[in-house]
Amino acid sequence: MSPRSNPSPVPIRFDHEEWLEEVERLDERSQARVQAERARREIESGTATLDWQRCEAGGEGGTSLPGCNKLYVPLGRQGASEAPFGFVFQLAQDPDGRLVWNFIAFGERHPNNPNTRAVYERAHKRLHGRYP
Amino acid sequence: MATAVKKLDLQEGELIEVAGRRYEVVPDREGGLVLEPAITPVSELYAKRGMKPASAEDFERIAGDLPTDGEG
Repeated sequence: MSPRSNPSPVPIRFDHEEWLEEVERLDERSQARVQAERARREIESGTATLDWQRCEAGGEGGTSLPGCNKLYVPLGRQGASEAPFGFVFQLAQDPDGRLVWNFIAFGERHPNNPNTRAVYERAHKRLHGRYP
Repeated sequence: MATAVKKLDLQEGELIEVAGRRYEVVPDREGGLVLEPAITPVSELYAKRGMKPASAEDFERIAGDLPTDGEG
């Protein structure tokens, strides 16, 4: 099924702690970090078409990401070779009760290195406090 | 000259800080333990910010008809 653009006017929120642990952990010249920073700029400028997909309550490798959506990175690309990275967001309520898509994880969708955690494993760890 | 090895008696879930960066002891895929950059749970982050996960009903209303790709 093809993804759908901008499902709602719910704002996207990138907080410092998650960004530090997910993106700024990476070398600043790495392809992953450059692509993440570019995608964030495009999202925050409001110019990007966002091809949202829903995460799985029961995904590959035992991940469970209820209440979460994702975007492939670079934005607007689909296949794993064209869009090797992903952002995961959880739908949350801010202190004023407003709904936000809160950024929780960034990483490779299908890492070649067996020691690298996929973005879905990272998101699972952030939601549940442990890896699947 | 041989490098001195610092031995750490650490258990799964413990955190250490090196040069201002936090690392967590987590299980590896072979049944051992490994140090990885820490991932702070949303429960801890949301508690500091006064946030909470949205209800399942809100998620279904907003994102229920979005496609999935089977990846995760």
